[in-house]
Amino acid sequence: MHARAATLIAEVVRRHQSKVSLRKGPERVEGTDVLQIMSLGAGEGDEVILEAAGNDAEVVLDALTALFDGHFGNEDDPTD
Amino acid sequence: MQILQGIAVSPGVAIGEALVMDNEGFRIPRRFVTRDAVEDELERLESAIEAACAEIAHNREAVSRELGEKYGAIFEAHLQMLQDSRLRSELHEMIRERHYSPEYAVSRTLRRYAQVFQRLESSYLAERVYDIFDIEKRLLRHLLGRRREGLSHLSSPVLILAHNLTPSETANLDRKFVRGFATEMGGPGSHTAIVAEALEIPAVVGIGPFLAEVSGGDTVIIDGDQGTVLLQPDEETLARYRHELAEKTSLAARLETLRDLPAVTADDVSIELFGNIEFPYEVEHCIDRGASGIGLYRTEFLYLGSSTEPTEDVHYQAYSQVVRAMGDRPVIIRTFDLGADKVPHLPTPEDERNPFLGLRSIRLALRNLPMFRTQLRAVLRASTLGNVRIMFPLISTLLELRQAKMVLADVMEDLDEKGIPFDRNLQIGMMVEVPAAVMMIDRFVEEVDFLSIGTNDLVQYTLAVDRSNKDVVSLYNSADPAVLKLLAWAIEAADRAQKPINLCGQMSGNPIYTMLLLGLGLRRLSITPSAIPEIKRICRSVSIEQCKAVAKRAAGMENARDIKSFLREELKRSVPELGL
Repeated sequence: MHARAATLIAEVVRRHQSKVSLRKGPERVEGTDVLQIMSLGAGEGDEVILEAAGNDAEVVLDALTALFDGHFGNEDDPTD
Repeated sequence: MQILQGIAVSPGVAIGEALVMDNEGFRIPRRFVTRDAVEDELERLESAIEAACAEIAHNREAVSRELGEKYGAIFEAHLQMLQDSRLRSELHEMIRERHYSPEYAVSRTLRRYAQVFQRLESSYLAERVYDIFDIEKRLLRHLLGRRREGLSHLSSPVLILAHNLTPSETANLDRKFVRGFATEMGGPGSHTAIVAEALEIPAVVGIGPFLAEVSGGDTVIIDGDQGTVLLQPDEETLARYRHELAEKTSLAARLETLRDLPAVTADDVSIELFGNIEFPYEVEHCIDRGASGIGLYRTEFLYLGSSTEPTEDVHYQAYSQVVRAMGDRPVIIRTFDLGADKVPHLPTPEDERNPFLGLRSIRLALRNLPMFRTQLRAVLRASTLGNVRIMFPLISTLLELRQAKMVLADVMEDLDEKGIPFDRNLQIGMMVEVPAAVMMIDRFVEEVDFLSIGTNDLVQYTLAVDRSNKDVVSLYNSADPAVLKLLAWAIEAADRAQKPINLCGQMSGNPIYTMLLLGLGLRRLSITPSAIPEIKRICRSVSIEQCKAVAKRAAGMENARDIKSFLREELKRSVPELGL
């Protein structure tokens, strides 16, 4: 997951009230911490679990899922 | 304890606090702060982060405006990385719990992230390491403020550990507090080596990567005799080195008593000991050691420290300072001896794949006459202030020497026309440092007033060894029989023509060669000022007869190693008080 993808995730999370975390294997990081998201080293095909807690939890998860599905708006970059 | 091996380029031992510079000339700061300072330091970190964020936001706006949103996004990412909450808590913890300085905490933490990224498989992320370094630098710049200007603002004695020192870094060096150098890069003759010698402090270069192992404020030992650097020295080692330092100080004090005594051999032959200098302030070192003149005033520093060509007046100020200080003692000024690749204001040469055989020194001077003439004018003007002589470096052919002399004559004529005074009888000499010049020495001696053998280059060219190349440096040996033959040849030719000849390479300051050199017939040695007392001690302890026998024995030997160990034994026997 490169800097731009991580930045986009953090931006979406900040626009919502729920607390969001990302998990890859045993690592769990805050959805607003760009440096940590990058350090997960998640790449194409890796499983990343998104967790949200709060009154708009479903909304934020939908928004994030859309972001992942759309390859962060960059179809030709395989590292997303 | 960790012992690193490098190349010894300036002798002596120094023990002290490390000042670490990274490869961009950034100072990597000291490690710890006191408990009382923790709150202040946290505040300092916060304002640095705030300032860095403001700066990045500003960059983002400017770049987005000029190049488009896409480019501005890079800064947006930096901004967000810097606002990472875990990063912040990690930094706080290091300062609060471990008492790390904010600078050290920033450096440590961000470098750890850089390592994580480097280890990730994606090559894209590995590239992001540069983003991390960029953020690190930005924070350090705000944390260190003016103090980041490396070597110019020091407040306590330090040993400088660096990737490589550039001329501009050393030009502004705070001389009062620098006690030693250790660098990852460089070889003998490198800028660091010359500056260390000038400052008379130990230096070890060409160590290879080690800066990651050490941080500012650590105690380190630089052993400029063995060419080693000791990190985290244990108590026993520290004690041993402290003892050695004390011994050296007492030997130096004993040698000091020789200052006003002449360098006369036991059989009453007088030897002239001159000093080699690069920077005008070194003239004091020469006077303090009782040098009878300056045998080699290198003028390269004038060209290295700035990006513009030095003016005639800059030259003149430097020369006049040295000449005035020396009074009626001779000052031999050598015209510039740089490669085209080293002169900042000249275009980078295209074909310089082999600078030692390339456009350098007198060759470069003869191709850049306006620059050469500027220097010659300044030397001539300074010649009225004392006893000035001029010397041309790297002369390979008679034609080259004649051309250089013609340019000088031309500049003299110019000065005459303008009514500017100069010493009309200024002595003109040449460096003997190319084997071709030795082969033709009988012709050269007819056309100069004096000669000076530059062994550093002569050895290099004779043995075809680049002494800054660690793979072949062991083949570089001043005691090689081929070198000794060339020396004997040059000295005999000069004697026959009754022209003074001097030796000004590093060989002249190395005590093991003194007897040999006197035996070969040299009566003038030009030495790094700190070595003058030791060499004088040897001159006063030996007879020329004895030295001649040593030279004769050495001439019969087949290889450098035998010659060197023979010379060492002879010195030990003849001058036991040096404690070799």
